[in-house]
Amino acid sequence: MSSKILSLIGGDADVGTSRIFWVGFVIVVILFALYPTQASEFRASNVAYYLLNIPLGLGMALLWGYCGVLSFGHVAYFGIAGYAYGIIAGNMAGNSFGPIAGVLGGLLASALVAGIFAYFVFYARVREWIIPILTLVLTLLLETFLGQTAGYQWRVGSVLLGGYNGMTGIPSFQIGSFVFMGYSFYYFCMVIVLVCYVSLRMLVNSNFGQVVFAIQQDPLRTETFGYDIRARQWLVFVLSAILASVSGLLYVQWGNYITPSQVGLLSAALPVIWASVGGRTSLLAVVIATIVLNWVTFTLSAQGNQYAMVIIGSALVITMLFFPRGIVIMAAEWIGRFTNRPTKSTGG
Amino acid sequence: MELDPLALSLIYQFGTNAAFLFLAALGLIVILGMMNIINLAHGELMMMGAYVATIAHNQAGLPFPLAVVVSFFSVALFGTVLELLIVRRFYGRELGALVVTWGLSLVLGQGTFLVFGPFMPAIKIPGGSYSYGSFSFSEYWLVLIGISIALVIGLYWLYRYTKYGLQARATMQNAEMAKALGVPTSRVYTLTFSLGAGLAGLSGALLAPTSTIAPFMGQQFVAPAFITVVVGGAANVISGAVGSSVLLSAIKTPIGMAFGAFLGTVALLVAALIIIRIMPNGISATIQKLMDRRRAASIS
Amino acid sequence: MNGKFALEARNVSKHFGGVIAASEVNLQVSPGELRCIIGPNGAGKSTLFALLCGIQRAESGDIFIHEHNVTQMQPFKRIRLGVGLTFQTTRAFQDLSVRRNLAIPNPNLAVYKEGHQRGAKRLQIALEGFGLDPSDDTRAGELPHHKLQWLAISMVLAGYPDTVLIDEPTAGMSRDETDRTTEVLKQLNAHGLTIVVVEHDMHFVKSVAEKVTVLHQGRIFMEGNVAEVTANEDVKKIYLGHAH
Repeated sequence: MSSKILSLIGGDADVGTSRIFWVGFVIVVILFALYPTQASEFRASNVAYYLLNIPLGLGMALLWGYCGVLSFGHVAYFGIAGYAYGIIAGNMAGNSFGPIAGVLGGLLASALVAGIFAYFVFYARVREWIIPILTLVLTLLLETFLGQTAGYQWRVGSVLLGGYNGMTGIPSFQIGSFVFMGYSFYYFCMVIVLVCYVSLRMLVNSNFGQVVFAIQQDPLRTETFGYDIRARQWLVFVLSAILASVSGLLYVQWGNYITPSQVGLLSAALPVIWASVGGRTSLLAVVIATIVLNWVTFTLSAQGNQYAMVIIGSALVITMLFFPRGIVIMAAEWIGRFTNRPTKSTGG
Repeated sequence: MELDPLALSLIYQFGTNAAFLFLAALGLIVILGMMNIINLAHGELMMMGAYVATIAHNQAGLPFPLAVVVSFFSVALFGTVLELLIVRRFYGRELGALVVTWGLSLVLGQGTFLVFGPFMPAIKIPGGSYSYGSFSFSEYWLVLIGISIALVIGLYWLYRYTKYGLQARATMQNAEMAKALGVPTSRVYTLTFSLGAGLAGLSGALLAPTSTIAPFMGQQFVAPAFITVVVGGAANVISGAVGSSVLLSAIKTPIGMAFGAFLGTVALLVAALIIIRIMPNGISATIQKLMDRRRAASIS
Repeated sequence: MNGKFALEARNVSKHFGGVIAASEVNLQVSPGELRCIIGPNGAGKSTLFALLCGIQRAESGDIFIHEHNVTQMQPFKRIRLGVGLTFQTTRAFQDLSVRRNLAIPNPNLAVYKEGHQRGAKRLQIALEGFGLDPSDDTRAGELPHHKLQWLAISMVLAGYPDTVLIDEPTAGMSRDETDRTTEVLKQLNAHGLTIVVVEHDMHFVKSVAEKVTVLHQGRIFMEGNVAEVTANEDVKKIYLGHAH
């Protein structure tokens, strides 16, 4: 049983199957765990921000890289979860179960919207370019809607939606009386990111994941083996929306606010860029790209850089032109060629 | 005969909405139908058209109709450059083309902001308006409806009676076969992309007097244009663009008038989801199928 | 086996634009049969397969699999009734290993579970006959052409179907490879597999089939045993392009 789980985690559906890789992986995890002992709470909190975006990036890799379905609007689920958490936890302020109810409500709301949306696009068997467009339209409409919710008449219970200024004063996450803030929030993010990565790695190595990958390679062929590919695409879409929601929940718990720009055009571009630059066919490559690119954009925007969108757009164009499989993946292959170590498959 | 002002206004709104959707989607659907590529920088090309027209009209003092023509050709030229440098590397990779043109749209929007700043002085709406009962009508919108109809006829002529049109239809049906028969398919693609870009520029210029000229104005066209294309499909450019903009306008007009513009657009999205559930390849494919069936019936 | 016919098409028609792809086609395949479908290019052979499996929807007429009317059914549901299909262009999952490719088809999706033992036996026959190793970690995209064809056929059998539609299994193969393919298909048929195969190669047709269906311009032109069909003057003519 446990050997089966290990072989699922270590399977060849993601890069890195050698013993050396896993030693390196553990060392990196330990370094991240030790980081707060060497850094101020402010810096740890910044790194927590890079980490909390990873589930969103992983969702993109799963959906686009492994399933072949592109979404330009997964930030919509990020936003829906964030706003729903704010509404529920905000209304239950003072109740220690509020944040947990907010998390559940946020995940549920996102999954519901994603499920209805995905039903229409997948069960209609639409052409593949239609999905990115409709997802983009959905998130832009959500931004427009949230943007016009300024004023006192737009409130749910005691929580104001806040229009373009956004929702503020969102409660942090807590279990019992323990509130996750600063260092503890950093570790909270780290654990969730690790759980997401490891369980997704198991998923893509499982039979389910292999069939999903087969759908990406040749949908018709997969269907002629008796698979209802619509149902699987639907499930993967909802799953990736839930991953986006996890990031959205962590985001509002981290900053205690959310604005409509989180579901706007620029934000919508970000996960696509993380997946493209990293290499969408590898979960790990996307994780690396998400951390690095968030660090870059965070640094840029902290300086109020007005070139941010130009830089991000150019990065996308250059990656698609010259590194179509992703910079991280192509760099890893390049390094692999030099060390010339045949990666042995341990997959089951 | 006495016409009810409300009914008249409804017809007028229906016409302007349909013309708006048609103009917003035209360039996009020309490129999609031909090359299976969705140009996500479409909104930004419309924005460029608006900027060119504004500069040509307000600063260079060209008469507005001439400024519109200048917009068409400048954006078409820009489209040619885009096709040659970037887009042609993505033929056959639909999703790759989507992502790369999205990157372009971000660069173009922000680039315009950096060069021209957040605002441009607007173009005065040409022509006057007159009222009928309690409703007033803009002459300019009536002209736009007329121009939309003229564009339909012009495109039909282009695809039906010109050498480019013949080559384009051949390439659309079977690119490999067309190539084997000596059609310069790669030039056809370049021409089609610049035609699509030019039409986006033209539409942007035509719609410029009706909206605020700003670097991110392209975004307001994204939702309506893309929904129109999704509903229209790519089987036939003209029947797709016309059928879809008329149908969607019939949905948007009453809802928009009763509940406001935002819910009108939401209704568009909901309608699109339901329509693709029934007609996954869009209205144009359904029309095509009906025509094929009739033709087949007449054969056998 | 269930039902009178494993596969049946009744008056099935389909047009693409002005082109007639299938016109009033009637086809009956009995369980355990090995049927060849022949006809010149564009006769509608591949379209017939697509119609039987639901990849294309028939405009009129009905299709039955084991006496179930499947005319309105989605492709994956038809497959689950026990049908397998290969395509004219070889379609294995190029980026997956041979092992992973063979693991994709899942016998548990099939409705006829009593066939599992026979299905496993047939898969074994195919793998041994074709010399394929089910634990091979080679990427399918790296296999030579004929091995890829064999992998595609074996993948279909890995779903434990009782009826298979095979489109041009020997296209691009050498004489030896063709003979080996013929041998394996005959063995599979001897183990109760119903096989419908589209083929151009008359050598192949003569060596495997008892009954042959000739398609021409979307219609069933002739049906009969191999000797009758190959001796028929009109069949020779349509292959040479004289018949109208």
